[in-house]
Amino acid sequence: MIEEGLLTSALRDAADVFDVSEGAVERILEVARNAEDRAPSRAVQFARHPHRGRTLLAAVAVVAALGGIALPLMNKGTAPLHAFGGLPPLTGRATSSHGAPKFDASTSPNSTQSSASGNEGLAVTGTGFAPNAAAGTVGPRIESSGSITLRVKGTGVETSFARLSALAAKDGGSVSSSQARFANRSTGHFAYGTIVLRVPQGRFGALVTQVQRVGHATSLTTSSNDVTSQYVDLRARISAQEASRRQYLAIMSRAGSISAVLAVQRQLDTIQSQIEQLQGQLNVLDNQTTYGLLSVHVTTAASVPLVVRHRSGLAKAWHDAVAGFVAGFEWLVRLSGPLVFAVLLLGALLLAAWAVRRALRHRRT
Amino acid sequence: MLDISTKKRGQVGGPVDLSDLEQWLTLRYPQSVRTAYLIVGNRPDAEDAVQEAYLRAWRFRDTLDDASSFSPWLYRILVNACNSKLRSEIPHRDRRHSADQLESVASSDDPTSRFALSRDVMNALSALPTHLRVVVVLRYYADLSEREIAAAIGRQPGTVKSRLHEARRRLAEHPAIRSHAAESTTSGEAVQ
Repeated sequence: MIEEGLLTSALRDAADVFDVSEGAVERILEVARNAEDRAPSRAVQFARHPHRGRTLLAAVAVVAALGGIALPLMNKGTAPLHAFGGLPPLTGRATSSHGAPKFDASTSPNSTQSSASGNEGLAVTGTGFAPNAAAGTVGPRIESSGSITLRVKGTGVETSFARLSALAAKDGGSVSSSQARFANRSTGHFAYGTIVLRVPQGRFGALVTQVQRVGHATSLTTSSNDVTSQYVDLRARISAQEASRRQYLAIMSRAGSISAVLAVQRQLDTIQSQIEQLQGQLNVLDNQTTYGLLSVHVTTAASVPLVVRHRSGLAKAWHDAVAGFVAGFEWLVRLSGPLVFAVLLLGALLLAAWAVRRALRHRRT
Repeated sequence: MLDISTKKRGQVGGPVDLSDLEQWLTLRYPQSVRTAYLIVGNRPDAEDAVQEAYLRAWRFRDTLDDASSFSPWLYRILVNACNSKLRSEIPHRDRRHSADQLESVASSDDPTSRFALSRDVMNALSALPTHLRVVVVLRYYADLSEREIAAAIGRQPGTVKSRLHEARRRLAEHPAIRSHAAESTTSGEAVQ
């Protein structure tokens, strides 16, 4: 049986001597403050206003039912599920200017993603992400990436690549990679290609806007991710490891035997390896948050041939009939989802209202 | 004894009152981190667990009715946070950061000897099952009584007693402790 006093002193030797991370208390208080600020207000008390609560429930039920049916139908053909709420909503702030949808990348608080497709002009405005962390203090670290598909005329892939490269260079960036495929090797022109541009975070939004002017933007996806917490965590771990290394060096200077020196040296080697590993991760994160990557897919109109088949009158009529049948069936299937949801929602709300009413009646009696 | 007279939540919409949490952290944070460190085996996870525990404690401070049971209550939350780390996160990576296992040994008559002993005890401790490690740390490091430990881990005092006995037996049988005992026998140190 191990002696209790020895156990106590050994545990204290192991744990008591290191200093806890500086600023940890403030960090916890800050987290608590933010969490409390985000907590929903507890001021709403339905029980004190039963009639108002029932009215509100009924109003919500009607609005949800009507909205559930109307919204998918209104957005027929253009990603109806987004509007219906079946998928997570876009978290970036969508604004409109001159009839063209815009995505303000600078308003993304954490991990945001935005995508758009169609023939309208697409614009991303970025007033610039926060600058990189200065030494000592860590500002917001945000990694951004995006993808745009451009359609250009004729043999414009080479020209577009040149213009895109120039745009990146003008914004202080560079071309990270590019690849293209020949339409016909004899002509020497490319049918389509992809170029990946790398620009400083602060210029990412502006670059996206400029890139869309190079051709006809048919789709756009951008995303930004706040990795500040990971960045801070990595830095804290490196600091802790460096503190440990200093302490081991102090121990080594007091070591009286070769075996003790070797034991401490082993620990030092392990710490050094971990510091290098963490530093590598920090460098990767630093690189990702310093530059944004924009992947531009450029296609020519000729690379997507439009095949027009001329049919006889009877064949065309048959084809139209089949298409009409399929379209009608699709419409029915599309409608069934919102209807089922609306029915379920109404049922749930009615059930809740019934339960509230029953509880109130029970209380009165 | 901590003053938890202001533990009830403030008015809705008013400024956030963090005085309780600040007081807890000021008085107990370093001790909590070190306790968690002995349980989970490395400092980053210990600090994570402590942060989670304090935030949880502060969030549910209304559930504490008896101010005298504050310490076991907080330790219970801390132990749960450590167990959660050990169960869900740490198994997916290396649990023991050997570099973290020992720091310096200050003001010692024989630093290298204490260093070696402390390292051996930590190695033996990390080999214990979590439920035994927790009671050892709470008893011999956090200095809780068996009754307080029982409250902190939600078991009977008798269970704590038997676990402590079992833990000490296993620690003594661990090869690192046995080899240290063998060495110290020749130099006159006491490891029974």
